Amino acid sequence: MASHYSAEYKQIIDSLPGQSLGWLKALRADAFNSFSGKGFPSLREEDWRYTNVAAIEKKLFSPQLGIGTNNIDKEWLANYSLQDAYTAVLVNGRISLEHSTLEGLPDNVCVLGMADALEKQPELVKKYLAQAVSNNEHSFVAFNLAWFSDGLFVHIPSRQIVDKPIQLIHLVTQADLLTTTRNILVVDEMAEASIIETYVGVNDAYLSATVSEVFVGRNAELTLYKVQNEGEKAYHFGGTYIKQERDSRFNHHNFAFGSLLTRNDIHTDLDIASECNLNGLFLGAKRQHIDNHTRIIHSQPHAISRELYKGILNQRARGVFQGRVIVTEDAQKTDSEMNNNNLLLSNDAEVDTKPQLEIYADDVKCGHGVTVGQLDEKSIFYMQSRCVDEETARNILTFAFANEMVDKVMIESLREKLLEQLLERFPQAGVEKSWL
Amino acid sequence: MSSSTEEIEQLISQEYKQGFVTELETETFPPGLDEEVIAKLSKIKNEPDFMLEYRLKAFRHWQTMKNPDWAQLNVEPIDYQAISYYSAPKRKEDGPQSLDEVDPELLETYKKLGIPLDEQERLAGVAVDAVFDSVSVATTFKGKLKDVGVIFCPISEALQEHPELVKQYLGTVVPETDNFFAALNAAVFTDGSFVYIPKGVRCPMELSTYFRINAANTGQFERTLIIADEGSHVSYLEGCTAPMRDENQLHAAVVELIVMDNAEIKYSTVQNWYPGDENGVGGIYNFVTKRAECRGHNSKVSWTQVETGSAITWKYPSCVLLGDNSVGEFYSVALTNNYQQADTGTKMIHIGKNTSSTIISKGISAGKAQNTYRGLVKVGKGAENARNFTQCDSLLVGDKCGAHTFPYVEVKQPSAQIEHEATTSKISEDQLFFCQQRGISAEDAVSMIVNGFCKEVFKELPMEFAVEAQALLGISLEGSSVG
Repeated sequence: MASHYSAEYKQIIDSLPGQSLGWLKALRADAFNSFSGKGFPSLREEDWRYTNVAAIEKKLFSPQLGIGTNNIDKEWLANYSLQDAYTAVLVNGRISLEHSTLEGLPDNVCVLGMADALEKQPELVKKYLAQAVSNNEHSFVAFNLAWFSDGLFVHIPSRQIVDKPIQLIHLVTQADLLTTTRNILVVDEMAEASIIETYVGVNDAYLSATVSEVFVGRNAELTLYKVQNEGEKAYHFGGTYIKQERDSRFNHHNFAFGSLLTRNDIHTDLDIASECNLNGLFLGAKRQHIDNHTRIIHSQPHAISRELYKGILNQRARGVFQGRVIVTEDAQKTDSEMNNNNLLLSNDAEVDTKPQLEIYADDVKCGHGVTVGQLDEKSIFYMQSRCVDEETARNILTFAFANEMVDKVMIESLREKLLEQLLERFPQAGVEKSWL
Repeated sequence: MSSSTEEIEQLISQEYKQGFVTELETETFPPGLDEEVIAKLSKIKNEPDFMLEYRLKAFRHWQTMKNPDWAQLNVEPIDYQAISYYSAPKRKEDGPQSLDEVDPELLETYKKLGIPLDEQERLAGVAVDAVFDSVSVATTFKGKLKDVGVIFCPISEALQEHPELVKQYLGTVVPETDNFFAALNAAVFTDGSFVYIPKGVRCPMELSTYFRINAANTGQFERTLIIADEGSHVSYLEGCTAPMRDENQLHAAVVELIVMDNAEIKYSTVQNWYPGDENGVGGIYNFVTKRAECRGHNSKVSWTQVETGSAITWKYPSCVLLGDNSVGEFYSVALTNNYQQADTGTKMIHIGKNTSSTIISKGISAGKAQNTYRGLVKVGKGAENARNFTQCDSLLVGDKCGAHTFPYVEVKQPSAQIEHEATTSKISEDQLFFCQQRGISAEDAVSMIVNGFCKEVFKELPMEFAVEAQALLGISLEGSSVG
């Protein structure tokens, strides 16, 4: 299907970064052809059977590359930025150094806008760009590669342990905007870092299509947080594609609270004895649609994967979880566990879940579990019998269900911000912050 | 690889005992499929006009469809024009009126398969309908069943004697447009069993159909229709075998179950079609559509299947739980070895209130086989208090096989309680060691462990079948304390 985004592409192509680099031009041309041939994914594709993105095609979001990055409400930004972190801010898909605070970052750690990185360190970018994910994955990835206007390039050299977390804030201030960002996060051999990706925007329709390619080197550790607080009419596609080298550890915490339609891809490929922990919490209300698609490929022996996704769906929200674990022939001694628990709170809410195990090796321990249900009536009764009214009891239990995921967050200031957001979601009850 | 694994492999790979061919004079259509063939087939069967229309409608729809390719299967393209769609043992002008008139060669065949069609000699009462290639050759205990009002006969006979019943129910659970193989089956099915249990009757004996493919280059397309009217109960068994041949043969069956208020159907299958040799040559392609509709309140359907045969199995016995408080169950053991492929599972569609379903699936994959569980649990908006429990376990034997689990859960009702769990592992060295250390031979220990693994399913099988199923798994239980 021809997409009208393709028709617009000619007008913006010259203003995209890196056009002077032949290899990038070729990559973009390839990606453009791949996208133009197919258009956005349709429900007929197995990986997209529960998520309809036709609305994105119907509306025409435009990149508006010329718009400024200055008029930002600083208080609004402060709501989301963490005090004890290095912060890089992208406004409407472009880096804004003015709002970023990167002072004190060790000299050898590189945090750059993607456009700047392409200018200053093109060879380094070339080494990583489009290496963790291919255009064949699906057409959002190709779309992102062809269209990306900026993004962040984070490179942590070997043996460097970054003292404070690095926060990357993606901010959208304009309605009808298309922001396409491509991020590359590299944590080299034996290095350690925590990175927080925060997505926020205005309460208008816009499309935020972002792809992060993540490289975790030998024996390195990366903890990546994603907090998605897009405006409630926004569309969000976020792909995180990870390559893990041997003995590496990758922890992901994925909080999907905002936007009208969200699709998250988290795909990782595990080398020998590496480890990944994927955690996720998605809260849906009103007409929100949240689709989490995870894929863990055990391509080498002795790797460990753990996954826990929790969903709470209220009103007319729809939640989707698709989790796939593939254990290839060589990946003996794999240890993998996946769980997805969902709470349905209203008659019109829906959840579709599809955990998958594909196993081609024999000496493995793999399991998955799924539950869909509601709060335990006995627990509610227990609380009622102790003078907690029913509504409060329900709120406390729902809060506790979600809080398990927030508790796993290791950065205190982030955990507090997440807690505040949770309490906003369940305000009716007397769950006091002081209780926690 | 450890020696114990080799022993397990030896145990699991046993010769296919039912691979002989019966020499019979047969009447077989030349290969090919078009509207003329269907008309000819309908004429041979002397079917009422509505059947021919139904078949042609299905055939026309089938021509617009494509072979499904979504399953985790590697299927050689099938040439549907190279298959003969009718093959029957030649018989005298009128069909056999009693068992005495059945060709002794046929009786001998079934005897060899361990299915005596001789009523006198049977101790326990199991009524058998024997389907040989395209036709039913004998049905036992018909008279006794008639006394209580149960109709148990080949579907071709039902079309003659009870056309109104067949017309009322045929294709209402699996419409002719349902899927590629169901459409093909609707166009060309030749025989199968028809069962009607009237109101309030508890069928006095177990009913059983034994399917046998004998002729070469034919496909078997059988159709089974079981109706359990209000308050009735029936237990139905199905078994199947085929000779060893180098060509793949197609088996595309449709089974429809209809369950009314307070009725129950228990449907058990031991599928032992020829699986092909150790190099993956030959074997049956088993593409089956099985579906039950719980139309009444408090109705219950239970599918139990032991799938050991077939080169390729594509089969998803399903339950549509329409009536309030209805119950669907699915118990399955699927064993694949050598180059066998199985993509099997179930669908539980909850529509009525307080409906519940249970899925227990055990997959054992050995050699170079691929074994997939694929299931759907769907809870509609009105299905208040729907309940599902699913457990899928896979056992891997050898490092070249695969075991896959693809469950789908779709819930639109907040009071639903859905639980799903799946595990995949190999036979634990620790468990083997534990047994051996206590003086149990490796062979017996493996039997114990594999049988323990499948026990939840075996205990659902009727006695006779449970014995056959355990034997089929190729594991002797002698000397073990389990079983």
